[in-house]
Amino acid sequence: MKHYLLHRLLLLFPTLLGTVTVVFLLIHAVPGDPVEVMLGETAASADKESLRRKLGLDQPLARQYLHFLAGLATADLGRSLYNQATVSKLILRRLPATIELTLAAMTVAFLLAFPLGILAAARRDSWIDRGALFFSLFGLAMPNFWLGPVLMIFFSIELGWLPVSGRGGIGHLILPALTLGMAMAAILTRIIRSGLLQTIHEDYIRTARAKGLSERRIWLKHALMNSLISVITIVGLQFGSLLAGSIITESIFSWPGIGRLTLQAIQTRDYPLVQGCVLVIAVSYLAVNLLTDICYRLADPRIAYDK
Amino acid sequence: MVLSKYISRKVNLKIPFLLIFLCPAAFFCACRRSAESEKPPNTLVVALESGPTHLDPRYAMDADSERISALIFNSLVRPDKNSRLQPELAESWQAIDERTYVFQIRKGVSFHNGKPLTAADVKYTYESILDPGSRSPKRGAFKFLQDVDQLGPYEVRFRLAIPFAPFMEELTLGIVPQAAAADGAAGGWTLIGSGPFTLAEFSPGERVVLKANASYWEGAPPLSGMVFKVIPDAIVRVLEFRKGTVDFIQNYFEPDMLPWMKKNTRAAILSEQGNIFQYIAMNLDHPILRRPEVREAIGHAIDREAIIRNILKGLAIPATGLLSPEHWAYESGVRRLEYNPEEAKRLLDQAGFPDPDGDGPLPRFKLSYKTTTLDLRKRIAEALKEQLARVGIELEVRAFEWGTFYGDIGKGNFHIYSLDWVGTKDPDIYYDLFHSSSVPPNGRNRGRYRNQELDALLERGRRTTILDERKRIYSRVQEILADDLPYIPLWWGKNVAVMQPAVRGFDLYPDGKLISLKKVSLSSAKPGS
Repeated sequence: MKHYLLHRLLLLFPTLLGTVTVVFLLIHAVPGDPVEVMLGETAASADKESLRRKLGLDQPLARQYLHFLAGLATADLGRSLYNQATVSKLILRRLPATIELTLAAMTVAFLLAFPLGILAAARRDSWIDRGALFFSLFGLAMPNFWLGPVLMIFFSIELGWLPVSGRGGIGHLILPALTLGMAMAAILTRIIRSGLLQTIHEDYIRTARAKGLSERRIWLKHALMNSLISVITIVGLQFGSLLAGSIITESIFSWPGIGRLTLQAIQTRDYPLVQGCVLVIAVSYLAVNLLTDICYRLADPRIAYDK
Repeated sequence: MVLSKYISRKVNLKIPFLLIFLCPAAFFCACRRSAESEKPPNTLVVALESGPTHLDPRYAMDADSERISALIFNSLVRPDKNSRLQPELAESWQAIDERTYVFQIRKGVSFHNGKPLTAADVKYTYESILDPGSRSPKRGAFKFLQDVDQLGPYEVRFRLAIPFAPFMEELTLGIVPQAAAADGAAGGWTLIGSGPFTLAEFSPGERVVLKANASYWEGAPPLSGMVFKVIPDAIVRVLEFRKGTVDFIQNYFEPDMLPWMKKNTRAAILSEQGNIFQYIAMNLDHPILRRPEVREAIGHAIDREAIIRNILKGLAIPATGLLSPEHWAYESGVRRLEYNPEEAKRLLDQAGFPDPDGDGPLPRFKLSYKTTTLDLRKRIAEALKEQLARVGIELEVRAFEWGTFYGDIGKGNFHIYSLDWVGTKDPDIYYDLFHSSSVPPNGRNRGRYRNQELDALLERGRRTTILDERKRIYSRVQEILADDLPYIPLWWGKNVAVMQPAVRGFDLYPDGKLISLKKVSLSSAKPGS
């Protein structure tokens, strides 16, 4: 396990390098000049050139890239082209909001998917199962930009229970978390249901029944635990979707997270900030995938990575 | 309970069942407190779309930045509701000659830190913009300024390198205290102005919090403070207003939301003609668009009234040019482009672009139309596409995010695009938009329009300080542009403000300025619907 983890940690570096390289090339390839956006078209050419020199944007792309990598090696993500604050400071200011939202969305997904998935499997072909299927289809089919406003209208305007947007107390978190977590909940519900239905016919379940164990114990301990591997896989993969989805959800709910920051940085061609944001998102994604692999081992002790 | 028993007949799954229903309920109960305790008393909450990027007046370029900055900083002069310049920090001024102006600064004005505002601060503010090291985006606009001298504690002299008629317009810049570090947005210095509000918090992309300046020289504002909330989504802004957590929105909503707001809220709605000019620009280096008949045909093919009625819900009037009828230099006698598809077809035939198959599907020619990803702009683009298709012109609508769109139009990488100009003050803007020397990167003549007669007029217009003569010059400029059509005028938009019934005393400005918020008060009426 130790060797495996070390191996995976070492693999993070080339993966991250590849990610930041692609992002660096893409952001420089798209049309739009940050100097034009900063100074406007009326600025004198000499002023534009001077600023371009000051920001190092007059250098060949390869040199800019090496400069960026050198900064990265010393954990220096550079400064925002716009307000000269350090990129790491800007990201660290917004990161807690995104972590909060992502974790809340996962919590919502678990809270919805586990009971629904278990009930659907336990009551196969009943109205509960059909309801869970409808929920899954609904959750997958509803785009965030539609679901968010609909939830706002219902819970914030009609019922008046929750705030419409912004970040504040726990009330502010519920609707964006529900919006963001809905698709994941839908997928997990189906995975849990099918995993349980597959597991429930295994020999060891029959043995458990023969031993006289209660149905609750059989379903929640033996069947559910054994069907968790596929759930863990999906959770790991869906985490990336949550991060990507947070860009839209954060915009809809005026949530001051890293998704909105990324969007603003792209619009203003703030190269260092875009690179910093993507790097953080990539690191989070890779870290969660690593965590997923560790969870495999915990969920199924038969999995041995070192062999 | 019945349901629970039913489930537990075979499998005891009470726990997950309870989780489904109890957790959300617990959440809802827990959240009500935080939702209600958001708004401080006597504070106006204003919704913005993208919010300011810089509040330091030397760096404020976008509309939100300029509007909020004007509430924190005073300037020498300030345009009134009719765009006439009124003294603010300047008590009086005198033009010594065409290139020299002397200003007497108002005594008894203090910055928010209690330090008196003097001529030294005025001199510092302008010199810091001229300093290349400051990287102020406004430096280009002050290239006519030779020097600024302090003649006394409250007297300052501006000397211009050349006679420059729009000079006074540039004095609407907010005055910062001496030795304020460059770029307040970076947090290098606390933004200290002398305006009616002080800055309490600035989180770019999130919110700006202002507190009333109790010792403001014109008298303390009635409000205790203001919160400018950035809410990127138009629907959410309107829902926040409906809930009563936002008190005021100006222009930042889709026109078709207005009828809904009228019906579903108790909003007080103010609407007045503004000077927001929407236009279509064409690339005159393009072999088809170079032909004047084609540009005129496009102008005749557009049914402005239909778009204003159906998409803009009446919040605009058809335009004849950049300057709106309220502007002192507006020329009403220019050629008008009436909706006339038959005339458009005739002009296209005459230009050598006959319809290959009559009423059939084949177009005379195909052009691309670039726009931004804003929903309203895309809907307008689709309407234009349909209208031009009726005369045989195929438009390929391409929507880009702002950075790409802006980069493309600056480089001339477009056939047709549409944008608007907001808050046009001096007609010298024509120099920047249509003079041959203003082709990017030297200006904003993005369509590459070249006309020697117009160039000569624009050069005279900026050097002449006699108003009547300037009026004559710009009348001719407007006539030429209406004939040559480097821009096809679409409409002048109206400004609309929706306010909770408790909001009193707001005045709409044609350019959307928010300066009248300093006079706004909140009555005790309950907000919301």
